[in-house]
Amino acid sequence: MFRFTVEEALRRGTLLFYFGVGTIILLVFAFGIGRLPSDPDMVTLFGSPLAHSTSPNFNVVDFILVMLHKQSVSSILLFGIFGIAGLIPGMLEKGTIDLFLSKPLARAELLMARALGAVSGIGLNLAYFFFGIWFIFGLKLGVWHWGFLSSVLYVIYTFVCFFSVVTLVGLITRSAGFSIMLAFVFSIISWGLELREKGLYMLWDNGIYHRLLDALYYLTPQLNSMLENSTRVVGNLPYIPNPAEFSIMPFVYSFVSTCFLYFLSAWYFSRQDY
Amino acid sequence: MAQCDQTIFYFFRKLKHKYDSCGLILLKKNKSLFFDSYENNILLFYSEIKQIVFEDRTFLFTLSYMEALQTHELTKHYRSGLFNRKNIVALEKVSLSVEQGEIFGLLGPNGAGKTTFVKLLLSIALPTSGTATVLGHPLGKRALKEHCGYLPENHRYPGFLSAVDTMIFFGRLNGIRDSILREKSNALLELVGLKEWARIKTKKFSKGMLQRLGLAQALINDPKLVFLDEPTDGVDPIGRKEIRDLLLKLKGDGTTIFLNSHLLSEIEMICDRVAILNNGSVVRTGTISELTAQKLAYNIQLSVPLSDNVRERLQQSLVHFESRDTLLIVSLREKAELNAIIDILRRGGIGIESMTQQKTSLEDYFVKLVKGENAQ
Repeated sequence: MFRFTVEEALRRGTLLFYFGVGTIILLVFAFGIGRLPSDPDMVTLFGSPLAHSTSPNFNVVDFILVMLHKQSVSSILLFGIFGIAGLIPGMLEKGTIDLFLSKPLARAELLMARALGAVSGIGLNLAYFFFGIWFIFGLKLGVWHWGFLSSVLYVIYTFVCFFSVVTLVGLITRSAGFSIMLAFVFSIISWGLELREKGLYMLWDNGIYHRLLDALYYLTPQLNSMLENSTRVVGNLPYIPNPAEFSIMPFVYSFVSTCFLYFLSAWYFSRQDY
Repeated sequence: MAQCDQTIFYFFRKLKHKYDSCGLILLKKNKSLFFDSYENNILLFYSEIKQIVFEDRTFLFTLSYMEALQTHELTKHYRSGLFNRKNIVALEKVSLSVEQGEIFGLLGPNGAGKTTFVKLLLSIALPTSGTATVLGHPLGKRALKEHCGYLPENHRYPGFLSAVDTMIFFGRLNGIRDSILREKSNALLELVGLKEWARIKTKKFSKGMLQRLGLAQALINDPKLVFLDEPTDGVDPIGRKEIRDLLLKLKGDGTTIFLNSHLLSEIEMICDRVAILNNGSVVRTGTISELTAQKLAYNIQLSVPLSDNVRERLQQSLVHFESRDTLLIVSLREKAELNAIIDILRRGGIGIESMTQQKTSLEDYFVKLVKGENAQ
């Protein structure tokens, strides 16, 4: 089921589109990025100088990689959901689910294989893109940025956590559209919860309300925090004063909430009639 | 008939080993297996043998008889509506049993609960109450599904897979080893007439071809029990005949077949027994001949036409009858009247060449029964 779902995910138009877009970006960097022969410290894009890679307080390669990371991760995470949100409701369609459930597989096994297969489709896309960028930058600029390469693991992990929400919603609503919509709503809620102290706390000065927001924050995957921390593995933007250090805690908290959500999904799935 | 001892059982086991690829001889009436010479087909379910006896050169195996499927008051209620939770009865206390090696048909109008019944047996839906065993396993057990095949109604296959890849995919879900899957898949596709289409993606398949593929998929794990929900739906008449022949072949190999179908003529042709489901309850079960026999109407073929004398006596007996040349059709109020009619004919010197009970078609019987039930 896992292998089948990966194949199905990769054959979906949206993921093929991401693969195509990723390839174009890789080709742009492969052919465009370089250094000036007369000034090896100067990084160029299609011959146009960008900046000296060794300026004090500003490393242009780090900057490009951080920007690439931020942009690609947020877009592939949000739009990746478009590509695979339909895989869970698709499995539940009449005529498909009957076939799957008639096979000697536990429902939880089936669901987990499906969910992991789906995120693997995105994971492969991300790994391809990150490895490609890392390799091109290493080859053409001599910068083998291990932080950038390793950050893909955090990003994939974040996606696995994000998909736990999509899985549960997909099981309950049996609709790809609802799954996508609620995934976006969740990402906004997640962002709001992260900034609760500066925003949501102000709406109502009530201790119970504040604790409730805290509980929600820790009980759901901390999407925004994880993404920010995955970027910190690559580096920090030069214009941010006193940048925060990388923290593993959002990943740990999210592990617990993700396990809970997948468990809840499996429990719900095992009790449903199809 | 002498009691068989352990030595013979051992001897038979050795034989079984030698003839591992042999088929099954299942005498359904006395639930026993036999073979009368070494050349004949042999099959042995070790766990099911209760007693072995032999006479002359014939071994007789008595099976500890096991139903392929047995349900006891299986009930399924659904709740519908978000706020006003309406209780919908899909199945109400359905008790059925299906014997091993038979083709069993489940009939019923749309919404009678046929598909729900199969879904409960395969744990696709969960029962509200009641119990069931399939091949000796309680519902929900993995071992149950390992030995069952299922062709659902309106099944959907991933369009990006070819027919052979679809077979391999579902074979893997059944836990079949990759090393034998491809060969097995090709053999089954050939069996259902899709050999030429094995490499074509299923999105290009017609409804009938998908149905054939579904049937092949249902057989990928060599099931002991196959559930088929409208297997000939969308299949052309020649294809239907081929599917019927295939089902009979499977039956010959000892596979139990559970068939859900609206096509009563097909059910009539191949099913050993049927059950009629209406509004979630079983209203009749029996063999086709039991259901279609008009109990008190007979066609009597006479050697000569009725004489006036005999006709007068029959009228005096108050039996309702009709005669056309040498055919006498009688409708009785009670069975004992048949003897009286035979006596009248004999006394009048009219020979009886044959006598058959009148039958109705399954369709007529079904329509009459369901309409009658619904009127109540």
